[in-house]
Amino acid sequence: MSSVKLSQLVKKYGNLEVVKAIDLEVQPHEFVVLVGPSGCGKSTTLRMIAGLEEITGGSVSIEERVVNRVAPKDRDVAMVFQNYALYPHLNVAENIAFGLRIRKTPKAEVTTMVAEVAEILGLTDYLHRRPAELSGGQRQRVAMGRAIVRHPKVFLFDEPLSNLDAKLRSQMRAEIKRLHKRLEVTSIYVTHDQVEAMTLADRIVVMNDGIIEQVGTPMDLFLNPANTFVAGFIGSPPMNQLPARVGGTAEAPTAEIADQLLPLPPLPELAERIGAQVTVGIRPEHANVHKQGTNPIKVELELVETLGSEALLHTTLAEKPFIIKTETEGYYDMLHDVSSFTVNTDQVKVFDADTGRVFGQGAA
Amino acid sequence: MEKETRLQRIIFHLRREWQIYAMLLPTIIWFIVFLYKPMYGLQIAFKDYSIFRGVAASPWVGLEHFEHLFSNDQFIRAVWNTIKISALNLVFGFPAPIILALMFNEILHATYKKTAQTIVYLPHFISSVIIAGIVITAFSPSVGIVNTVLGWFGIDSIYFLTKPEWFRPIFVGTGIWQEAGFGSIVFLAAIAGVNPSLYESAVVDGANRWQMMWRITIPSILPTILIMLIIRIGNIMEVSFELIILLYQPATYETADVVNTFVYRQGLQSGRYDFAAAAGLFNAVVAFVLVMVANTLSRRYSRTSLW
Amino acid sequence: MMNWNLYSRGDKFFAIVVSILIGMFTVATLYPFIYIAAVSFSSGFAAQAGKVVLTPIDSTIEAYKYILVQPDFWISYRNTFIYTIGGTVMSLLFIIPGAYALSRPQLFGRRFFNLFIAFTMWFNAGIIPFYLNMRDLSLLDSMFGIILAFAVNAFNIILLRNFFEAIPQSFEEAARMDGANDFQVLWKVFIPLSKPAIATITLFCIVARWNGFFWAMVLLQSQEKIPLQVFLRHTLSNLSDDDEFAITQLEAAYSAETVTAAIIVCSIIPVLLVYPWIQKYFEKGILLGGVKE
Ligand SMILES: Nc1ncnc2c1ncn2[C@@H]1O[C@H](COP(=O)(O)OP(=O)(O)O)[C@@H](O)[C@H]1O
Ligand SMILES: [Mg+2]
Repeated sequence: MSSVKLSQLVKKYGNLEVVKAIDLEVQPHEFVVLVGPSGCGKSTTLRMIAGLEEITGGSVSIEERVVNRVAPKDRDVAMVFQNYALYPHLNVAENIAFGLRIRKTPKAEVTTMVAEVAEILGLTDYLHRRPAELSGGQRQRVAMGRAIVRHPKVFLFDEPLSNLDAKLRSQMRAEIKRLHKRLEVTSIYVTHDQVEAMTLADRIVVMNDGIIEQVGTPMDLFLNPANTFVAGFIGSPPMNQLPARVGGTAEAPTAEIADQLLPLPPLPELAERIGAQVTVGIRPEHANVHKQGTNPIKVELELVETLGSEALLHTTLAEKPFIIKTETEGYYDMLHDVSSFTVNTDQVKVFDADTGRVFGQGAA
Repeated sequence: MEKETRLQRIIFHLRREWQIYAMLLPTIIWFIVFLYKPMYGLQIAFKDYSIFRGVAASPWVGLEHFEHLFSNDQFIRAVWNTIKISALNLVFGFPAPIILALMFNEILHATYKKTAQTIVYLPHFISSVIIAGIVITAFSPSVGIVNTVLGWFGIDSIYFLTKPEWFRPIFVGTGIWQEAGFGSIVFLAAIAGVNPSLYESAVVDGANRWQMMWRITIPSILPTILIMLIIRIGNIMEVSFELIILLYQPATYETADVVNTFVYRQGLQSGRYDFAAAAGLFNAVVAFVLVMVANTLSRRYSRTSLW
Repeated sequence: MMNWNLYSRGDKFFAIVVSILIGMFTVATLYPFIYIAAVSFSSGFAAQAGKVVLTPIDSTIEAYKYILVQPDFWISYRNTFIYTIGGTVMSLLFIIPGAYALSRPQLFGRRFFNLFIAFTMWFNAGIIPFYLNMRDLSLLDSMFGIILAFAVNAFNIILLRNFFEAIPQSFEEAARMDGANDFQVLWKVFIPLSKPAIATITLFCIVARWNGFFWAMVLLQSQEKIPLQVFLRHTLSNLSDDDEFAITQLEAAYSAETVTAAIIVCSIIPVLLVYPWIQKYFEKGILLGGVKE
């Protein structure tokens, strides 16, 4: 049984199709993050699940029930908004209780439920304050309290942390994670920040321009991006992508990058493409500057950006920028002398130069 | 995927959103009954209207009323008076709130400013009848303070309100006294919206307050000034005739009678409904055209339309 | 930015001149009221002699006595309260739901309805057809007719609609997900969030009703239905036309002028009482804090 299911879901504004027939199944208790660049249709998708946006085509099901025609209040979902949408004329307790009061929950019950939620979120001392008298993080917590208190089947989050500063954001991230562990409510979370997606998600859904590019666990997306878009979106910094020509033989293909040769994994698709153009992808973390392997690839170092325990080496390879991420511990003095790197052949990704699809993942 | 019909969509929409239509309905009915139905009744301007036959059954007379209207000296005079009073209002009444707002902006003492503002907004909230009462009392030949003061300088009492040449100055002056303060609010709001860093950099450049007013404040609120000016021009036909009715008398009709007071006298006092309706229609059409022109101008020059 | 200590001599001079000019204008605004109040408390004789300038001469409350014993004065005063309260309530009953509906994006035909309402700001049929329409509706000389026929105007609806439109959509959406219907969204969210706008409109309505005179004069015939302003107008014209009154009262403690002034004072006092009370809402930005955009 799936908790939320999208089937061929479409949203059009006039002739503009902003969500293009997407399919997705969210399992019970799962924490799914929709991530993608701004304007790609994440919020629209979430709002169709919430019932705030009319569905142009396809369907949304919640616990196996098609809810296209069900009013938001009857879908048993709760949403946390980017701007929190706290009622300024109500205090924290009243804000949290708002939904219960609308649903005519008995007063005594409301009080205990609000107290319980305030306890979970550490808001007990603030129940009588107005939103204007709270800090950003506290407002954020109240917004979550308003969602939690109703014990919905599904939580929806639309960029709930984007109004907070960096430090608070990582703190709240941890808190959301902890809450999910404790409450185990199915959650769908929208963000444009891939770090947020990587740290929070059980599964990540990468969206771009109204379609789903890839669905998978954070590590899955990191290690096996399905296409150049996902490769360029996930990871910080993202995967290096270099245009290259396939050379060598079917058993030992190589990539010709300018005048250098990089061994490629022996993928069946490559056998047919000797001499063709491809895109080669190498994660900054996978480029090793310390190990002297065979076939080092020469780069020109331009800038060393030290981040503490790690450093980013900004280099150029065949006149394209190429970033290497390396540890600093014990190597710090030699970072400025880097002129080449090596890479494990099985960590090199090869993408179709035209479609951007990765080779070697079967039908995926 | 099942395709739904248009009808199904509408029914679904109404089932889901009927409440907003229920909320809108009374207002729409009100507009139809009290504002659109009279528009239908405007046809009496082209009819020989009789109360007993009613609007629909009265016979058509074409443009007869308009022919009479345009050969009626009193009507022509009323049109000119309307335009003259509006022009005076524009020349003297329009700059007043702007100047006031600019001056308020120079006042540092917060309490002084607040108190002064509260006081000058007040006359806006006073009824025409009272304003008229105050004017009549103040300008009265025997008791009036104006004549009392003139008396100190050895000037004989003037029967201001019976003298045609005094009507317009008194009327326009009263208007400024009543509305300049309240009118300054919109300009004060515009001034409040000016980016403070403009002033800060001007201070650094050594500008004084007078220069800042001319170089920063006034250019910054120019769009607001323009819009308000256009609104004023659009409203030329709308002289506040309530106050005129209260202040004028046959002796001053010569300068005081405007189209709406003419309509009031002809229609409601003399019962010539169809003729008066024609005069009213003329006024409404001219006003409508002026508002449309004003809006087009505003849209073109300030990229802001009034609606 | 504005700091007296950083002002140059010229700036200080400028500021002082402006303060004085503002002071003069403020005094000029206030003076007529003081003058009228002074006249109202002066003896008729002193007023007739043109002696009153700033303070009451031969202080007396005779003029008030003359007014306050007239039953018609009290009836008209009561009527004005009825028109003001009834009319304002009626206005809000139309305007608030109407503006809410017009502000909803999902309203089908929203552009049309908005135009339908705004059009009446640019074109109206005028005095005569409105009057004849009232007669056709049998609303002449009817208190309810006055209350209903002036309940709505396009400007107030549009003002409130604009305010509603500026409320972030997420407030409505959050309430909707919490199970609120449109009436609840309006009542529990939009109205509390719009207090400044609604207070402003309430003020406009109260002032318009309290001051409304022309149509009350035209539409109402019965003495027991007229509001204060019409009573005032009758008294004003009667007093000034009534030479006999002037002559017989010449030696008396009150005169036409002091009585006029006294009525004016009685009519302004409620306005003065309400004015600061609602004015505070203008500035209260209640929408701060709940939203961060
Ligand atoms: N009401 C609307 N009318 C027309 N276009 C819209 C509307 N709402 C959103 N869009 C468009 O739909 C696209 C997707 O928007 P959205 O789902 O908000 O993106 P995001 O992924 O940033 O949340 C954007 O290009 C946006 O411009
Ligand atoms: Mg979004």
